[in-house]
Amino acid sequence: MIQELIASTGFSIIIVTLLFTPLAALVLTTLAGKKRSIETITAVSTFLILIQGIILVAAVISEKTVTAFNGLFYVDALGAVVLLPITLVGFVAALYSINYIGRQYNNGFIDHKQLVRYYQKFNLFIFTMLLVPVSNNLGLMWVAMEATTLVSVLLIMLYVKEDAIEAAWKYLIVATVGLSFAFFGITFFYYANTNAAASDLGEGLNWTIMLSNAELFDPTIVKIAFIFILVGYGTKAGLAPMHTWLPDAHSEAPTPVSALLSGVLLNCAIYAIVRFHIISSNAIGSLFSSQLLIILGVVSIGIAAASIYFQRDMKRMLAYSSVEHMGIVAFAIGTGGLIGIYGAVLHIINHAIAKPLMFFASGTVSQKFETKAMLHIKGVITVMPATGALFLLGGLAIVGMPPFNIFLSEFLILSSGFNSGQFIASSLVILFLIVIFASFTGHLVRMVFGTPRKAMKKGDLGNLAVIPMIILVVLALILGVYVPEPLQILARDVSTIINQGGLPK
Amino acid sequence: MIPTDAPQIDILTISSAVLMIATFGVVVRRGFMDWLRAYRYQTMALSGVTAIIAYMTGIWEIYIAAALTLIIKAVVIPRVLLRVTSQLKFVARYELNPYISVRLSAIISALLVALAYFLTQQVPFRSDQILRAYLPVSLSLLFIGMFTMVNRRVALNQIVGLLIIENGLFLFATALTHGVSLIIEIGVFIDILVGVIISAALMTRISHTFDNLNVDNLEHLRDDKEE
Repeated sequence: MIQELIASTGFSIIIVTLLFTPLAALVLTTLAGKKRSIETITAVSTFLILIQGIILVAAVISEKTVTAFNGLFYVDALGAVVLLPITLVGFVAALYSINYIGRQYNNGFIDHKQLVRYYQKFNLFIFTMLLVPVSNNLGLMWVAMEATTLVSVLLIMLYVKEDAIEAAWKYLIVATVGLSFAFFGITFFYYANTNAAASDLGEGLNWTIMLSNAELFDPTIVKIAFIFILVGYGTKAGLAPMHTWLPDAHSEAPTPVSALLSGVLLNCAIYAIVRFHIISSNAIGSLFSSQLLIILGVVSIGIAAASIYFQRDMKRMLAYSSVEHMGIVAFAIGTGGLIGIYGAVLHIINHAIAKPLMFFASGTVSQKFETKAMLHIKGVITVMPATGALFLLGGLAIVGMPPFNIFLSEFLILSSGFNSGQFIASSLVILFLIVIFASFTGHLVRMVFGTPRKAMKKGDLGNLAVIPMIILVVLALILGVYVPEPLQILARDVSTIINQGGLPK
Repeated sequence: MIPTDAPQIDILTISSAVLMIATFGVVVRRGFMDWLRAYRYQTMALSGVTAIIAYMTGIWEIYIAAALTLIIKAVVIPRVLLRVTSQLKFVARYELNPYISVRLSAIISALLVALAYFLTQQVPFRSDQILRAYLPVSLSLLFIGMFTMVNRRVALNQIVGLLIIENGLFLFATALTHGVSLIIEIGVFIDILVGVIISAALMTRISHTFDNLNVDNLEHLRDDKEE
């Protein structure tokens, strides 16, 4: 009993130190003046975050839930699934930043002041994202989510050029209006909660308390509230038709930030939707929210398919691919069941591995070729053998080619779709996925092979540009052929949480 | 209705009418300075309404929220925005041609208010004087804010539309749940304040890069763009 108590408080401390690390890094990067030391601080801090993240996830696997501060923070398997990619992608993005941002600095695109600002905001961005999956208080989660918007707008504004300003403006306006909708939804849920049970005002916003009262909620209010939540957080998750800001923001951000936005931040928004999906399922049955998720998911995949087919810009194509994958996750959660949720969990993690890989490769390619227009990029593999090969492998992973990881999760999700009787939706998804497969691979092959348009100096852009990609491609291959035991337990726990009333059993 | 409640209902009706009029003041103004002044009046009205809710429910935290509203939204945010406009290198303070004329905007806004009253009647809220008075007003603010945002060409005026939505959000949360929780509300206030500061910084950049603040300039990023 005492040992358990020590163990549980010990794990609570990890939540605190996990949140404290990026803040400490923020202060240190402000104090340290030299470029070299700023880079080292950020790399070390993200590495520490990765280690703590792994410990916390291991604790969640063994203990099922970890809480801190009297229930203000609450991490279960669902939170762990979102937390793990943040720490992993945060670390590789920090490594890649040293090369990428360093090169922008050497080429004179940014000055020293901008470099310092970049690393400050990078650390702050990690902090705000970490705050989302550990918050039990849904109001705090909203504040963290809005903070991610603000910090990432600042990161997009790093470059003083027309396109970046346009993207930042659209992102700020659309995401903030979207999140106001989410706040309306949260208020509705809170109102339902205070009506159902006269609980203490401050804790009525806690997810665990809402969950325990959910069966008493007024059905009409729950339906309205969930629609507000879906529109609000759906905007942030890039679900069509609220995705319009996403291709602009993700393509104009500095590449390491694009990787974080696409691979990690979108998951946070999906995570918030899933939290409310669980409450709504407990209150009025899962049919209502599941149907909505399936519809938005299929529409997202369809719009992404059309946009990828006609795409000319490399990074915009990757951004639309994120719309597609978030659509797949929403579809998977909508279909539910053990296999559906299992697939959704794997898909969140697989996408968080493959998409940053693609963004890193495309960032290196665009630095070398000095353009993002796919028309002008030819023969990547002859100019940069390592990056070209990784670009190709990442592209094959992202479209769902076996033996890569995304094939596995998409296969699970589609079989769950057919098993749950969603024949039309699942057939549409397959159709769209085929279109995306063909057009994405077509674009990719035209870029990777062929002869470069002009004579270029051969060679890759340094070890730190390649190492993060190698880490990710190795993970993509491993997860394609074999799902490690801890991840299996995690995925099963998440499916228990979503399918059986929200608490791990 | 119990007769003793009558004076209170009068306060509620009058205050919500004042807030509504202040909101329409924002809709019918074209110049930025007039807008900002109208927004300030609206926020003061909102702060008053919040204080009334605090008085009627007897929850002291709502008084703090009312004070915060007054300080941050009626003083700090207008000052930040004024500072930005004074730094701009050209006079972009006038909304010369919104997409829809001012007269038509007022009519549309009136219809949106009617819609808000209609929608709130469809939802089974518990019967409560505060809810009955303020909930339709808060939804009207959301609708009118969204409408003014899409109707304005000048980036600065889009921000004021956003601020109207935030005011609606605040009133909604306070009226429906009698204050979410103070910590969360302070977090929301900080988020709004930082958001306004960032958008102000962005506007300065837009004006330096594009020569004016029209959002029509911001249409370069498209999927069918020729390289």
